[in-house]
Amino acid sequence: MPWKSGYTISDEIALADEEIVWPSEKRCAVNVTVALSTAIMPEGLLARDLSGDDAELAFGAGLDALLDVFERLGIRATFAVPAVIAAVEADRVRQLAEAGHEIAALGFRHEDPTELPLDVERVRLRATAYAIRETTGQSPAGWYGLPRQGDRYAAGSVSPNTVDLLIDEGFEYLGNGMADDAPHYWVTDPEPPKALVTMPYSYHFDDQFFLQFPPLALRGGSGIEHPEVLVSNWRSAFAAQYERGRMFSMTLHPHLIGTLHRIRMLEEFLASVTEKDDVWIATAKQCADHWRAQYPPETHLRLAPSIWTE
Amino acid sequence: MDRRLLLQLLATGGALTTAPASVWAAGQTSRGITRHPTPGDQGSLPLSSRESLLAELEELQAATQARRRRYCHLTQPNWPDGARIAVNFTFDVDHVLSRTANDEPPMQVAKGEFGGRVGAWRTLELLERQGIVGTFFTPGRTADLYPTILREIAERGHEFADHMWEHYVPADPVVQRDHMLRTRDVLTELAGRPPVGTRSSYPDALVLEMGYIYNSHGFASPLPFKVRRDGKELLNLSVHLAIDDAMYFNYGWIGSGASAQRLSDQELVLDIWWQAFQQQYEAGGYLNIALHPFIIGHAARIDMLDELITRMKSLPGVWFANSEDVARHCLALPSEAFACNEE
Repeated sequence: MPWKSGYTISDEIALADEEIVWPSEKRCAVNVTVALSTAIMPEGLLARDLSGDDAELAFGAGLDALLDVFERLGIRATFAVPAVIAAVEADRVRQLAEAGHEIAALGFRHEDPTELPLDVERVRLRATAYAIRETTGQSPAGWYGLPRQGDRYAAGSVSPNTVDLLIDEGFEYLGNGMADDAPHYWVTDPEPPKALVTMPYSYHFDDQFFLQFPPLALRGGSGIEHPEVLVSNWRSAFAAQYERGRMFSMTLHPHLIGTLHRIRMLEEFLASVTEKDDVWIATAKQCADHWRAQYPPETHLRLAPSIWTE
Repeated sequence: MDRRLLLQLLATGGALTTAPASVWAAGQTSRGITRHPTPGDQGSLPLSSRESLLAELEELQAATQARRRRYCHLTQPNWPDGARIAVNFTFDVDHVLSRTANDEPPMQVAKGEFGGRVGAWRTLELLERQGIVGTFFTPGRTADLYPTILREIAERGHEFADHMWEHYVPADPVVQRDHMLRTRDVLTELAGRPPVGTRSSYPDALVLEMGYIYNSHGFASPLPFKVRRDGKELLNLSVHLAIDDAMYFNYGWIGSGASAQRLSDQELVLDIWWQAFQQQYEAGGYLNIALHPFIIGHAARIDMLDELITRMKSLPGVWFANSEDVARHCLALPSEAFACNEE
């Protein structure tokens, strides 16, 4: 019987607050992830998602405003980019990379891979790495399975094979997982450990679930605007994570956060983060590199033996 | 429903002579029993219609009477040492098992896994700091997945109670009993003594057969109540979904999509829980807040719960108890403490 197979993805107990250290004796790590996608449904980006105002804002004024905020505050973010966007918005994506932001993968078209056959998923994964390398000159280190507003679950999506494939194809980290509020390992095989560093994600800090959610395209719900709840969640979570010396990560979409009151509220919040000297604002790749070096899976992954008794 | 008025209504075809007009005009008809008088609606209903309507009424009356006989409500809790309120924090340790029982995908399972790896540890730390003993409703299978934290829970003297085997109640009575026994064995081994309660929808008779003295599932009144079925009587420790952490920080009813999400912020929930507490404090009642380590165990929420407990402690007469203590207290009360309908 495989190790807790189908029941857990990581070890039994997370690293305690006091075990976690960040580079240069920083107290807390913060990552800002930008999903460069206007996909709404699990199928990922459809032609209509790239045809209208939202896409125009996402790759135009919304992104400009977001980049201005990052520049003013000296923040290097991680942009999760679908392969098709790396191809059709190549200049924009290159510009992001040149500004020092990290370019990670967000699927081929930001699709939910849950039902993909293994061979199909492998091809899509390779094509994604290739498309991003073609645009930026660098293979993406990270892979994101971020949720879309029309998903059944807001936790994000990987197929049962995704993490194995990512390891086999040389990816260095998975960008979003909910089993911890610090980086952790997603284990696909216990002995010897085959595992991938996974960055913490929480949909409570993801703008798309608070700003006119659910969107008109989903034809249901109120579409109510709740930026204050989003910001309140950011504030209280950052304060608590800072206190504990763990990590805070947030997820943004340029067409949503990048305008009007929203971008002001974002800047005000981020300024309260950057004004602290002991916060390490890092890209996901920097965090993942640090984690692997500081807590190698061979020595720090505490996998209990199989426990099944039946 | 006034049966006399209804009969009069049926006999006259909708024209009431004694009922206040507003009762009917405001649309306060009982479901399926009456209709609004219309201008062309003259004369009495045919006998067959009257009989059919009476049958509908009687069916609902029978259901009502059976329900009334089923419940006994605690009216005089007389909490120990003259306390005004009993506060009972209960934790459903169903992190990943509620996810797998619903056949949810890996990212969702990982979300639940936060509870075992991180959240439950923080919960314990908070309870320790505040000197509170909680009740942990635990699916038996959790012991296979997170043995260390469960041993820690036991060592620190918290209560374990049944929360099914893998977070569902099977349909087959034989499997039901098997699941209950397995969970009881696991929890007995952990705690060194058998559990005394459950949070589940197992049949009452089976719950009692396991030696359990209470269920904590549902809310027929704010104070604990007894449910009588098939000559058996089972105490229920009221727990309301409106103050369950999952209702604020998780999303949607089970089976709903992400667009039915509920995402709230800590300050708002702190205020809601504080108001619920104040209402029961003033009423001299009981507050059972159901929490989940994978939800409440996030750092900012733990801080908020800390603040809530500190506020509660600032008032006199708050009895922080686990479910077993509340149940034993209630069961030791004289029968007059409960109001039962005998009909």
